[in-house]
Amino acid sequence: MELKNKKLEDELFNSIRQDVLLQWSTGNDVDFDEAVAYHKEIPKHKVFSDKLIEAKEQGNTLIQPRAGVALVDKHIELLNYLVNEGEADLLPTTIDSYTRHNRYHEAEEGINESRKAGRSLLNGFPAVNHGISLCRKVNESVNVPVQVRHGTPDARLLTEVTIAGGFTSYEGGGISYNIPYSKNIPLDKTIYDWQYVDRLIGKYEEAGITINREPFGPLTGTLVPPCISHSVAIIESLLAAEQGVKNITVGYGQCGNLIQDIAAIRTLESLTEEYLHKFGYEDVVVTTVLHQWMGGFPQDESKAFGVISWGAATAALAGATKVIVKTPHEAMGVPTKEANASGIKATKQLVTMLRDQQMVSISDLKLEKDMIMAETRCIVDKTLELGDGDLAEGTIRAFQAGVIDIPFAPSRQNAGKVFPARDNTGAVRFLECAHLPFTQDIKSYHHDKMKERADYEKRDMSFQMVIDDIYAIGKGKLVGRPR
Amino acid sequence: MNGKKIVLGVIGADVHAIGNKILAYAFEEAGFKVINLGVMVAQEEFIKAAIETGADAILVSSLYGHGELDCRGLREKCEESGIGDILLYVGGNLVVGKADFEDVKAKFLEMGFNKVYPPGTLPDVAISDLNEDLGVSDE
Repeated sequence: MELKNKKLEDELFNSIRQDVLLQWSTGNDVDFDEAVAYHKEIPKHKVFSDKLIEAKEQGNTLIQPRAGVALVDKHIELLNYLVNEGEADLLPTTIDSYTRHNRYHEAEEGINESRKAGRSLLNGFPAVNHGISLCRKVNESVNVPVQVRHGTPDARLLTEVTIAGGFTSYEGGGISYNIPYSKNIPLDKTIYDWQYVDRLIGKYEEAGITINREPFGPLTGTLVPPCISHSVAIIESLLAAEQGVKNITVGYGQCGNLIQDIAAIRTLESLTEEYLHKFGYEDVVVTTVLHQWMGGFPQDESKAFGVISWGAATAALAGATKVIVKTPHEAMGVPTKEANASGIKATKQLVTMLRDQQMVSISDLKLEKDMIMAETRCIVDKTLELGDGDLAEGTIRAFQAGVIDIPFAPSRQNAGKVFPARDNTGAVRFLECAHLPFTQDIKSYHHDKMKERADYEKRDMSFQMVIDDIYAIGKGKLVGRPR
Repeated sequence: MNGKKIVLGVIGADVHAIGNKILAYAFEEAGFKVINLGVMVAQEEFIKAAIETGADAILVSSLYGHGELDCRGLREKCEESGIGDILLYVGGNLVVGKADFEDVKAKFLEMGFNKVYPPGTLPDVAISDLNEDLGVSDE
């Protein structure tokens, strides 16, 4: 396998496809032309990309929960509840963890056990096992667009089944669904497998069907500095665009400092567009998503609503195209449908209240944006340089060299030498830049910010700060001050 | 170092890595020799590592809701492998959906775990329990 950032040729694509569709019995039912015809009949208000473009034009922030259970009828009931009671604008179908690791036999067992127990024993919807017609039943039973959300390193069969099953948006990417989601899968394999996914979406695009693609922004979800997630989002957008994808939503996980978070969302959109144009992908529509705080949550439901509402306010003030909501059960795991709906409603209240307000350009915001842009360009440009201009090769080398290094990622392909921590105002900085290709000025900036906090707290800069920060929001604070 | 060894890992298809890294750091700081298997660890891998290193305890984490399916039979497998008396601790978001922790705890004690922890437990709590169970004196 020679990995290059180049559109997969039809012959290669088709030969891979033959094997992919044999991975589970439901792959047999995939018929591309029939699926295209099916998509042509889906009304516009149920098409993800159309709804995102409309929101972007109108400056609205759409609201989307996460949700998925083992059984089809229960899943449909859940989704309708989230729209009717929760007022969700967009829906998810979150895929269970066995399917994410292609363990379809275990997923099948989970379905059977769930039937017996009368409750979901799986943490999501096993779409491959259910197959195309039941996926279509889900889409036909709700009145808003539905996205497939998961965390699957090899998502080729899942893509084939779910897109043929009528879903109009698809999350993930070869980096963002590998490094934070697996331990030992080679990065060149997942980038290659996601080229297949993106090429399939590209083929739908060429047949007149736009499927929205969303690289997974938050990565490990805890204290990820914007430049790291921006770099991955930009690289995955470029890789997707090369395969013919035309509608991309780039994401970012809320860190908690309002200025930094607004700067992050705004630069994420502008930098992604900048790089797409630079490489000649002129007709790609870019929208943004803010994920409400992805790290540890307070156990207390009222306190959790506080965190949720802050994320909602941030998304609205930043002008994100959509916001992914958390629930008051976050600290306890997979939520009930009532808790899920209540998180959406709290978010809707904030987003609607703040619709006509914007964060004006103050000097702190400008400085934050300038820093994020400079840091991100250092990483992306170095990645391209390492690949002698080829982004796919460059990405592999960048991870090997620690030029891209995702904090707390489980993958052995990740250097794991970078440590983030909050500065004295709660913005996420680098306590340890390790091998990130930053200029001396940028390194000094981070060092000075961390020193300022250490002095204030009268302690040394150390890993203990990182631990304190990870627990802080769960314990009612943003900055993890000494206990 | 207190001379005690623990095997640490996140069970099943779960990839939640952050708590695992913190636990490894905290237990090492507390004087334990930590054999950290990281995320996505099968029952057999826990047991194999425990036998190979002569560990005193196996600490299982699960954050994603499949803990109930993933942990069933672990004690029995330990018994079959000749380490039936090893301490088994488990903690995290152990079942799908909001459940009364007392019910969850009872379920996992029944499965043969010695200690069961709810989400959000600080490492100090498990460290202190383990010191007590293994007869390590707090300095």
